[in-house]
Amino acid sequence: MISDRQVLVVDGAEGALSGVMDELHELGFRVIWVPTIAAALEFVSASPRLSLVLVSAAAAQLGGPEFLNGVKALRPALRIIWGVRADATRIRKRRPSLDTLLPEPVGAGTLRETLSSLLAECFYPSSISSAVKTAALEVLGTWGEFEIEGDSFLVPNHSALSELSAIIGFSGQATGQLLISMSSTDAKALHRRMLPSTLAVATDRLEDLVGELCNQILGRINAFFSRYSCDVQQTTPLFIRSAGSSLRYAGQHPSFGIQLVSGQTSISLEYYLADFDKSKLLVGTADQVMNAGEVHFL
Amino acid sequence: MSWVILIVDDSATTRALVRDEFEAKGARVLEAENGKEGLWRLRAEPVDLIVCDIHMPVMDGLQMIQELRKLPEHATTPVFVLTSDAAVTRAAEGKKAGANAWVVKPINAASLWKAVEKALFGKPSRSGRPASPRGNES
Repeated sequence: MISDRQVLVVDGAEGALSGVMDELHELGFRVIWVPTIAAALEFVSASPRLSLVLVSAAAAQLGGPEFLNGVKALRPALRIIWGVRADATRIRKRRPSLDTLLPEPVGAGTLRETLSSLLAECFYPSSISSAVKTAALEVLGTWGEFEIEGDSFLVPNHSALSELSAIIGFSGQATGQLLISMSSTDAKALHRRMLPSTLAVATDRLEDLVGELCNQILGRINAFFSRYSCDVQQTTPLFIRSAGSSLRYAGQHPSFGIQLVSGQTSISLEYYLADFDKSKLLVGTADQVMNAGEVHFL
Repeated sequence: MSWVILIVDDSATTRALVRDEFEAKGARVLEAENGKEGLWRLRAEPVDLIVCDIHMPVMDGLQMIQELRKLPEHATTPVFVLTSDAAVTRAAEGKKAGANAWVVKPINAASLWKAVEKALFGKPSRSGRPASPRGNES
């Protein structure tokens, strides 16, 4: 679906953005490197699938304003991340049309955060990301007042797992998986909210709780696809009990991640949409779906 | 009289949630983890209403409904499908299998119990047991 996303990096040989390439690759982007502003402009004019441009501070000094004007003329919506050495606020004031300024040297965390906010739309259209958030809050809302901590983020196909995780795959006209992960302490807290009469809870039951949570959230996400006449079936959960481990899967682009919190309780959600024809979202909703908790007599 | 309700779901969490709600209303609740075990419970004990999940190991919910409809004593027993699948088209498959209602997770306990009362209105309990001491609080 979206594995051909390209990012253009404009930087001198062995420049400040050399470490950035691996990070972009890890996130599922195809990275094209060019050493000069002139080559970059040529590439922008020739590549309609380009998602983003990163320009190092050194490269920007050698024709930055011309490049900006050229890109805005060719591709007004194309996002540009500018590496900066000087004070970012001062530069932003001087050039208000700049998308994003990233202090050099570029740290992996900062880069990922910036890319997540700029490129989440490339992989997960706002209607889908909104459906994921709404589904999670709707299901968790039956067990307490949860909110999404910070912004949503992109996660490479290498998920860090908490103590208890459940993963459910889905197939049909949309394929992918949903991963829910939390600590056993958080799972116990959630269990107490749901079934306050149960005093001692075995780990198996906590796993089951995480799996059921995953099942219900994915069900509400799939309800979104059903509205567009997309048939999606989900499987039964797989459970992973392993603190500090990671899960690597054959993903070609990042997952969409959110962190859900309620007091001290924190839950990680990663939604991976492997394949879906986004043009189906353009035709408008057609099929009816039922609301959560609804009883429909047949 | 206390209605006997069988909940068939591979999730212990869901079974516990439904059991707590139904027992609080005075019902007696039996549990099974999959369709095959559900059929076994149905043959072993009288049941007034069945709540079952769709996606389960060993035997799924729709298959179980088709099988139980072949049992003369359960040809008309109300069956509620309890699932996270909210597509109306999928509910039609449930109807074809013999289900009477489609309930979308997460459950709304009040709505679910109201539907149970509607389905069992005027029907005496097959178990013949008195209502649970917790009584019907609604």
